[in-house]
Amino acid sequence: MFGHRGRMHTRLLTLAAVFLLGGAGVTARVAYVQLADTAHYKAEAHDEHFGQQEIRAARGAILDRNGYPLATTVDAYDIFINRPDWQNLDDARKAAAFIAPLIGVQQPEDLVDEVRKDDKGLYLAYAGLDFNKGDLLHDADAPGLRVVQTTKRFYPEGDLASPLLGFVGRDHVGLTGIEKDFDTELGGTPGTVYFERDSIGNRLALGAERVGQKPEPGGDIRLTIDRYIQRLVEGEMQTQVVRTGALGGSIIVMDPKTGAVLAMTSSPEFKLSELNLNDPNQALFRNRAVTDVYEPGSVFKTLTASMAVDLGLVTPESTYNDTGAAYVGGATIRNWDYSTNGTTSVTQLLQRSLNTGAVWLSGLIGKDQFYSYLQKFGIGEATHVGLGGEPDGLLRTPDNPAWTDVDLATNAFGQGVGATPLQVITAISAMANGGKLMRPYVVQQMDTPEGKRDFSPVVVRQVVSEQTAATVADMMNRVVEGVAGNLAAIKGYHVAGKTGTTTGATLADGTVHNGNVASFIGFAPLDDPKMIVLIKLDFREDKLGGQVSAPVFKDIAPSILAYLGVRPDGSQLVTGDH
Amino acid sequence: MVALHRPALPASRTFATQWPARLLLVAAISLLVAIAVLKVNQFSRATSTSYEINALTAQRADKLAQNHELEAEVARLSSLARVDIEARTRLRMEPATRKLYIGINQPVPDRQSLPTRFLPPDHPKAALSEGPLWKHLLDVIPFF
Repeated sequence: MFGHRGRMHTRLLTLAAVFLLGGAGVTARVAYVQLADTAHYKAEAHDEHFGQQEIRAARGAILDRNGYPLATTVDAYDIFINRPDWQNLDDARKAAAFIAPLIGVQQPEDLVDEVRKDDKGLYLAYAGLDFNKGDLLHDADAPGLRVVQTTKRFYPEGDLASPLLGFVGRDHVGLTGIEKDFDTELGGTPGTVYFERDSIGNRLALGAERVGQKPEPGGDIRLTIDRYIQRLVEGEMQTQVVRTGALGGSIIVMDPKTGAVLAMTSSPEFKLSELNLNDPNQALFRNRAVTDVYEPGSVFKTLTASMAVDLGLVTPESTYNDTGAAYVGGATIRNWDYSTNGTTSVTQLLQRSLNTGAVWLSGLIGKDQFYSYLQKFGIGEATHVGLGGEPDGLLRTPDNPAWTDVDLATNAFGQGVGATPLQVITAISAMANGGKLMRPYVVQQMDTPEGKRDFSPVVVRQVVSEQTAATVADMMNRVVEGVAGNLAAIKGYHVAGKTGTTTGATLADGTVHNGNVASFIGFAPLDDPKMIVLIKLDFREDKLGGQVSAPVFKDIAPSILAYLGVRPDGSQLVTGDH
Repeated sequence: MVALHRPALPASRTFATQWPARLLLVAAISLLVAIAVLKVNQFSRATSTSYEINALTAQRADKLAQNHELEAEVARLSSLARVDIEARTRLRMEPATRKLYIGINQPVPDRQSLPTRFLPPDHPKAALSEGPLWKHLLDVIPFF
């Protein structure tokens, strides 16, 4: 009996010990979970119960130099339809009759058919619906309707400066242009919202919600572009394409004293209002005034002349004997019109745009000085305007084994060298700015949450002396006003300019045509230049810069000068408070 | 005759000993009820306030969105394309074929009104608040 009781006692003790140990183990584990590793399990529990969603920050605006928005962000709605809810045809028709007119679908039945093509998931009926219309849908109680608040880009000036501004993708990330180049500043910092969710991750309708990090809105970017001038040059470009049959081209307007780009356009170009990301011709998305190189042609003669003047080798009155041809390295270089001009001054050389004269000047200057000056003018190097895709250009210098004397001769009149329209206008702006080369810029201010940042004009270097710049500007003035019937001359303003014509028009898709590139560069008023304009038009056939591009300057310059507040001389003023 | 002497219960003692206990109990229960009511009231108010905050937040977001819409509308109305259409259609204007320049000695008119966030950097109001104080003081000194 005792033995039996003793065994019972032992068993009970063992059982108690097992329970005790088990209890102690559970207690220890609970203590570990609750005390020692609290943070980890708390986080796991939080992740299990709460989902998180990114809140998109409002994208900043892109403004013109006077503050007019060229691109801004407005609230909008994405309209979804839950397909399973529309499997009941009566419900679907009833909802479609309400939704279709608000999202611009003519026939509600079309919407019903589209949604009912599948019976699972959500159907995106409209992306970026206007706030007011979306608000009506937001408050509606239509079956299957899901309304998600979002934002969308709005362009108050329509398609103005499309390639320069660029565009954003569905995720509101900049893909081209300013939108891409300044995506960090415009985009802001997204926030986070935590929400309570059920076991399969769906958001609880009346669950808790907490904003983790508030979204930081993007900053505004103020450009140097003036919407009035931009619209003027874009309109003129379209007019010229129709009037002259040009394949396209570029126009840039710049303040030569600061390097601020006032307008910049290319044709053909894409339209923001008709944006098609599936368009195979993606080249249209480039800002080709900045990205594409071309042979500048005779406008380069102003640079060659400035070098010779700056080195004291010639004056505007210095002469050479033009025999109609120059012989360099076994090659014969003739004037563009095959003319022979006899004794010709440097000014006449520019007026008649004589290739032989440019070759003569390059011989005087010498290859070392010539290329040193070209590089000082920024040829062969990106301008660092701050826009993406800007190339250095093409310049073969004497240290290249393939370089020959013919390069020096042809480079002197702008052939055998590749530069972007922006590089060309920047280089020649030095003549309108006392010989100082300015760095071109298109962004004048960034107003971000970190503060305001202003961009001031930057003098890159003094390329030629002030006296030389004035002398060359005066010769350029004689090019326009010293030749009867010059198509760039405008009443009331003294203009300096130079034409350029080369063969090999490069189209937007990169193909090269045998036609001409006809260009004109001019600035005004001569005594205190306020604007410089480069016009470059591409043609399938032979056209001259003086015939087709110079008149464009004549068309737009008076309007730009009047807009900039530059008074014409007395002869053009009707009343005399001048 | 035997007189049964039974001492009378002290009435005052019963009252004195039991009443405070009951009073205490009643007070405690009342306190608990009051705390419970206050707590319920507090929760109710918190819930109500939270609802109001949510409603006001939604209202604020709505007003902000409307404000953005109005800013966009201002921009749309002042766009050059619209001005051009208005000039051509409503005012029946045409592009000038001959330009006349008239010199006038009048200050340049004020810029067209824009939403504050779009004001250009050289706007007088913005300029006043910029720069260190000593610079403004120097501006006050004549001929400096």
